[in-house]
Amino acid sequence: MTLPGGANALNGVLLEARHISKRFSGLQAVGGANGLSFSVDRGAFVGLIGPNGAGKSTTFDLMSGVQTSDTGSVLFNGHDITRSSTDTIAEKGIGRTFQTPRAFESLTVLQNVVAGATSPGESLRWAFGRSWRSHETATVEAAEAILRRVGLHERAAARVGDLSGGELRMLEVARQLVRDPTVLLLDEPTAGVHPGLQERLAQLLQDLHRDGVTLVVVEHNLHFLLALADHVLVLADGELLAQGPPADIRADPVVIAAYLGDGDVA
Amino acid sequence: MNWPQLLVTVLTLGSIFGVVTLSLNLQYARGGMINFGIVAYFAVGAYTYAIFTQPPPQGLDQYKFGFGWPWWAAVIVAGLAALVFAAVTGWPTLRLRGEYLALTTFAFAEVFHSVLLNERRIGNGTVGLARVERPFGDWGPIEEKYVFAGAAALLLVATLVVFRRLLVSPYGRALDAIRDDETAAMAAGKPAQQMRRQVFLISAVPVGFAGAVYAMFTTLAQPSLFTAEVTFIVWIALVLGGERSVYGVVLGTLGLVFFEEIVRAWPFETVRSAQIAAAVEHVVTGLVFIAVLRYQPFQAAATRLRASR
Ligand SMILES: Nc1ncnc2c1ncn2[C@@H]1O[C@H](COP(=O)(O)OP(=O)(O)OP(=O)(O)O)[C@@H](O)[C@H]1O
Ligand SMILES: [Mg+2]
Repeated sequence: MTLPGGANALNGVLLEARHISKRFSGLQAVGGANGLSFSVDRGAFVGLIGPNGAGKSTTFDLMSGVQTSDTGSVLFNGHDITRSSTDTIAEKGIGRTFQTPRAFESLTVLQNVVAGATSPGESLRWAFGRSWRSHETATVEAAEAILRRVGLHERAAARVGDLSGGELRMLEVARQLVRDPTVLLLDEPTAGVHPGLQERLAQLLQDLHRDGVTLVVVEHNLHFLLALADHVLVLADGELLAQGPPADIRADPVVIAAYLGDGDVA
Repeated sequence: MNWPQLLVTVLTLGSIFGVVTLSLNLQYARGGMINFGIVAYFAVGAYTYAIFTQPPPQGLDQYKFGFGWPWWAAVIVAGLAALVFAAVTGWPTLRLRGEYLALTTFAFAEVFHSVLLNERRIGNGTVGLARVERPFGDWGPIEEKYVFAGAAALLLVATLVVFRRLLVSPYGRALDAIRDDETAAMAAGKPAQQMRRQVFLISAVPVGFAGAVYAMFTTLAQPSLFTAEVTFIVWIALVLGGERSVYGVVLGTLGLVFFEEIVRAWPFETVRSAQIAAAVEHVVTGLVFIAVLRYQPFQAAATRLRASR
């Protein structure tokens, strides 16, 4: 029997949130009364949906160390990363993109991707030497291959300031891919991306999923997401409203009432 | 006008301040840190050099410490002292960003300056330490002042080479990434806090060296030499040269020092004309700055230099 997530779905929990919460000056963005708890299996493709302001991006922030949870803990591979800094979390293998794309504007498109990787020449001890050069050549090649994969190879020499919004989004995905993440958190990857490129993105995510990369994707584009994900978390007011396979979520009356509205999505 | 003398002075002072401007460039243009107290690190280098080279106190000497070390050992200690000073001052301040860091470093330097003014036993208060000696004599037919200018220029070139080496490495690229977008850089595994601290410390070392060479040049370590004016001059040189290019920074500093020295050395016929010139100098300085900022000749020259490399 083949499970939707492939054999990997049986390998246990990779990423787990236990009663996490975040409050912004009186507003409970994530967590509700009990804190937010959920888990992501190794190799899973998880969709994270919910209305605007439900706390999806904040949840990503708490899992990537951009913000620290007020309560509870975040576990990755069984290790507590609740209070770890963003760079240590990234080095552990959690990659993420941002809802508003971010880029290094003084670098070219290719250099942005190369800068995504961690090079031995980034440590003060090795920077003055030459040993990082061979690593650099390999990274540049990897970066070029990834740019081809996300459809940005013709823009490799461009300044990021010259990219469109959709291209910036793909660049951000590329910058994380070069890091070979164990789990990738994508915040609205299709927003502002034209349909042709969306198809390429869907293909890319399927390939990554097949290769065993664990994916958590926030999307308002449910056509896109529900066709790809094998597990869906529904967030409303910072709390988990429902979770399950896409088909169940589509049919869940509570979800329909709270989020999907008239039920004709996807 | 004595042109050779003028050029030697410009080369010497320009090299000394060029080192400081280069360090500031590393901190600001690459590290994203605004240091308005850079003069304090410069002063630490100068005083350390003076203290470690001057003879132990005897007779009427006011100061308490003097070690009589050879010049080269004292230069190394001056660099280390600046490093330690950067570690101590950076620890509480580097969490601050932008203008807050600028204000704190400025305040730090002012406090340090008033300590220098009032403290008698180590730095000898307002009088300062005046027993600094120039270590180089004439080299055969080459006069001492040329040897000294050459040594200062060598320090500048060495700093330039080391910084460039660092900045063209992945380390430099990671610094650019952090400056451009710290959160995104951290999400790409760059330890922003740690790297910023490293840059702050590394860049203090050549400033300490430069302070030592400056003490040799003036044969003096005195509070009046290390006022906020020094900070402003190197900042102006940085802006003139274009913060993005290390060559521009060097050209900007040399240009600025040249301009100041030429005004200072101009052979005026009467006292009256010298007074007028002194008044006009400020106006002219302002006009030149505006012109330079508008046309950016140093930046353009630096771009050509880079292109021809
Ligand atoms: N830094 C912040 N300061 C104050 N309030 C914040 C902050 N970040 C998020 N919020 C608030 O927290 C709530 C959750 O925001 P979040 O961005 O996580 O929602 P989201 O589910 O990603 O929404 P969207 O679908 O619109 O992206 C919102 O009400 C938002 O206004
Ligand atoms: Mg969001």
